[in-house]
Amino acid sequence: MFKLNLKIAWRNLWKNKAYAAINIGGLALGLTAFVLMLLYINHEESYDSWSPDLKSVYQIREKHDFFTPDNKEHWQDAVNSRMAALVRNNIPQVQAVTKVDQEWDWNNGYSLKVDNANPVMVKKVKDADSSFFKVFDYQFIQGNPETALKSPKSIVIKESIALKLFGTDKVLGKTIKIVIWRSDPGQLMTITGVVKEPKTPQSVGFNAIMRTGDKDKDPENITNSNYCQVYAKMNGAIDTALLNESLIKVYVNAKKASFAQQKRNFNDYYKNGKLPGLKAVQMEAVHANPSLQISWKDKLKPIIGISIFLLLVSVINFVNLATAQSVQRAKEVGVKKVLGSYKGQLLMQFLLESALQSIVSLFLCVILVEMILPSFNHHFNVNLSFWYNPQLLMMIFQLLALFAFVTLIAGFYPSWILSNYNPVSVLKGNYENGLKGIALRNILVVFQFVISVTFIIAIGVMYQQTQYVSNKDLGFEKGNLINIKSNYEETFAERLRKIPGVKYIATTTQVMGNAFNVPEEITYKDSKIPLNTVTVSIDALQALGVKVLQGRIFAKEYKQDTVNSIVLNESAAKLIDKNAIGKMYDVKTEKNKYSFQIVGVIKDYHNEGFDKAVLPTIYKVTHLGGTSNTNNLLVRFDTENSGNVIKKIEAEWKALYPDYPMSYTTMSNAFDKVLEDNKRFMNMIILFSVISVSLSLLGLFALSTFVAKRRTKEIAVRKVLGASNIQIVNLLNKSFLILVIAANLISWPIAYIIIKKWLEGFAYRIDMPVLPFIVATIVSVIIAVLTVSIQARKAAVTDPVNALKYE
Amino acid sequence: MIELKNIEKYYATKGIKNYVLRHVTTTIKQGEFVSIMGPSGAGKSTLLNILGMLEEPTYGVYEFLGEDVTSLNERKRIELYRNHIGFVFQAYHLIDEMTVYENIEAPLLYKKVGSSERASRIANLLDRFNIVAKKDLFPNQLSGGQQQLVGIARALAAQPSIILADEPTGNLQSAQAEEIMQLFQQLNKEDGITIIQVTHSEKNATYGNRILHLADGVVKDDVKI
Ligand SMILES: Nc1ncnc2c1ncn2[C@@H]1O[C@H](COP(=O)(O)OP(=O)(O)O)[C@@H](O)[C@H]1O
Ligand SMILES: [Mg+2]
Repeated sequence: MFKLNLKIAWRNLWKNKAYAAINIGGLALGLTAFVLMLLYINHEESYDSWSPDLKSVYQIREKHDFFTPDNKEHWQDAVNSRMAALVRNNIPQVQAVTKVDQEWDWNNGYSLKVDNANPVMVKKVKDADSSFFKVFDYQFIQGNPETALKSPKSIVIKESIALKLFGTDKVLGKTIKIVIWRSDPGQLMTITGVVKEPKTPQSVGFNAIMRTGDKDKDPENITNSNYCQVYAKMNGAIDTALLNESLIKVYVNAKKASFAQQKRNFNDYYKNGKLPGLKAVQMEAVHANPSLQISWKDKLKPIIGISIFLLLVSVINFVNLATAQSVQRAKEVGVKKVLGSYKGQLLMQFLLESALQSIVSLFLCVILVEMILPSFNHHFNVNLSFWYNPQLLMMIFQLLALFAFVTLIAGFYPSWILSNYNPVSVLKGNYENGLKGIALRNILVVFQFVISVTFIIAIGVMYQQTQYVSNKDLGFEKGNLINIKSNYEETFAERLRKIPGVKYIATTTQVMGNAFNVPEEITYKDSKIPLNTVTVSIDALQALGVKVLQGRIFAKEYKQDTVNSIVLNESAAKLIDKNAIGKMYDVKTEKNKYSFQIVGVIKDYHNEGFDKAVLPTIYKVTHLGGTSNTNNLLVRFDTENSGNVIKKIEAEWKALYPDYPMSYTTMSNAFDKVLEDNKRFMNMIILFSVISVSLSLLGLFALSTFVAKRRTKEIAVRKVLGASNIQIVNLLNKSFLILVIAANLISWPIAYIIIKKWLEGFAYRIDMPVLPFIVATIVSVIIAVLTVSIQARKAAVTDPVNALKYE
Repeated sequence: MIELKNIEKYYATKGIKNYVLRHVTTTIKQGEFVSIMGPSGAGKSTLLNILGMLEEPTYGVYEFLGEDVTSLNERKRIELYRNHIGFVFQAYHLIDEMTVYENIEAPLLYKKVGSSERASRIANLLDRFNIVAKKDLFPNQLSGGQQQLVGIARALAAQPSIILADEPTGNLQSAQAEEIMQLFQQLNKEDGITIIQVTHSEKNATYGNRILHLADGVVKDDVKI
């Protein structure tokens, strides 16, 4: 029986080849998008699951406002290095605590040099204390985890790096010279271990863990702090909530003691909702809850939604086409029933048919996934694979579940309809009356078009927003400007200034691509105003090419500029005073009070994405009241032909710092990078929209074929009665046109709400445009009419005699 | 074998009862070959459908093999289809996606007949109806008469005690029709299968041994030949 049903299913598919191809192909596309998502989700979910030991490892997070893009307090994984000792000494369940460098986006890595080979930049070379491998249970290929970091100046590297640098993993005792910045004389590190890459990705990813000795101690001066990551391993599983209760107590006590020592007032500092905070996050939760970025789960949400919609569109095609062709199958059902088939048996038969189609789709989908994965990986900056996936078994299980789900959701309704056919209507020969599911089919077509039209509208709006953003005045000149990843050093800067073509050499703590915000509270006319502080060299604002609105920007002629002159940006001027030029304000610290004079106001310039508003900022040349050195060395050219100039700069660099390769980025690239996320998202939406729209159209095409076929006789009679071909095409179009227009009306408000929400994510955005809505409607109507007309015309031009003869 | 008592059937359209069958009372015994005749719209097909339990009468009692079947549950009815009743249709109603062999095999699969038994029964039928050479063809590759032969073979496969045939020769030329009628007669005489057929042709009716004349839903005449 099963075999026979399988045969019938196959013959049916073969008979309706085009229809089956649309069904299966569409489903395969829908599944592919979904499976890619699954792969990605599995990958993200698998973070830090490579050892059962990690269940008892915690990341320590502290609440503070350093390094934050908005200068507000956040829970951060970069914590005061003193936290390590605090946790070790006060939490009895602690087995080991380690301090390790956090990851910097801007950091290009360190220069690693083996003997006389050329230096190689390697990212993720992290400094840690001796306990790192006591907390993280890496598998050593060479060396001993117990003793690997026992003495300073030792380094443990990943297998891949050993192979890259030495061509072998037998490297114990060899030395590597590590150069951390360009003028760093370098430190020789002895390799004491080689570890295997774990099966799943790691939050504390590294290529090498070294012990320079810096992490062994905390700064002696109580007012100084180092920031790093702290991880603690507990002996066995413990209650995280309880742990966090004790952590906060310990932290508050420690803070109070430290404040007392510094003669600062604890209550004065923690006010206005500012609270002290220290907590532990279980390793398995770390990746899903990053401290300053949005988590992958939130990032993925819209994409998950979209891929579910895509799957739905293809499933709808499946349901629609299956119920539409049920006319053809009605006779079979009627006859089988009088031959003695139970309804359940028929139901199973039809479910088997949809199972057959979904299994074929699934195979196609696996092939498609394999084909698409390389570009997917490139796009999302991951390295996923299907067959070599460590979770292949789980993947297969998920695919089977997906298969069962799709089969049921796509096959059940048509099967139910079919198996419910009343044999009498079949035997009387008028089984067309028994045609069911028209209402549902119409609803589903509308639903499909709602999705497609919403996609089209979204593309339109996103395109306009992207255009707006990429043409937006940045507030600085991004052309002919590069940023070398290096600190500013006067002698080196002077050498560079001598190169023809170089106009300015400058540094700033804040520029697009590497913005470092330092919060500061100023006192102006007795009111306290929180602002963002940027330290610049004297000609940095000229180098950036900012626009002066009032007053002047820094210049060498003014001696006081390096003492207490200040330039504001427009946003800050709005907060302080409309006519701020010449006015003074104060910055108070515990012990001192500094006064600054405002000499100019510049137009806001962007240094983050357009989702973030430019912070009210003060610019100063002086180091008074705090500064930070960041790796920005701006070079402004006064020639279009910057390639040669850059070569000269590189030569200059190499002569001075042979052990550290120079790296730089053009400001245009930095700008593109800021737009990249958004562009990526938009490309994705476009891709999905195109697929979704074409699937909907294929569905409509097949559906209109069936409808035209069903109405062959009616069409023939009408023609005999004198209807023209056009009239008949219109007749068939009308029913579908109503559906498409209904879908448009429904999708307008939906698209409006979704897009409004999307636009609100941008601090700088366009007003809701009307054009995409109109265009989407016109486009959808035209395409639908064209699609249906092709079929309708075919039906209309056939000779009516043929159709009528078969009565 | 069949007892009809006061069978009535009407369709209510806009509150008006349109009677299709009125006061039909009759008995059909095992081994009879009954032809139902009458003008178009007389209710012949309706009567046959009721006999085949495809439709339910509005009133009246229908006993099949001594059991009241007027409102039988689906499972019981299907059991009867599997074991006792074979249908033959005017439009043949073979399943297009199945070969001749598979069409004949289908009822045996539902009846869960073992595979060797199945093979021998089908071989017998193919042989008997002279369609061995066609066994792997699909219905649309056969002539009307051949299709009807397959239809009858399929009805016989489950070895029913009764065959219900609604104008089985309606779509056939007279030579083919005659062949089918002779086959029916043979099945009736040699195998003792009860046959009830609807027919328009006086000639076809003479193959049987009883004629029910139906007009406006009423049995006008019941003639034994
Ligand atoms: N589903 C239905 N609804 C209303 N009237 C019906 C229905 N089915 C059959 N009829 C009517 O019942 C009458 C008898 O039909 P039928 O038994 O098919 O006649 P025939 O003797 O030609 O086989 C006809 O007048 C037909 O119009
Ligand atoms: Mg009839």
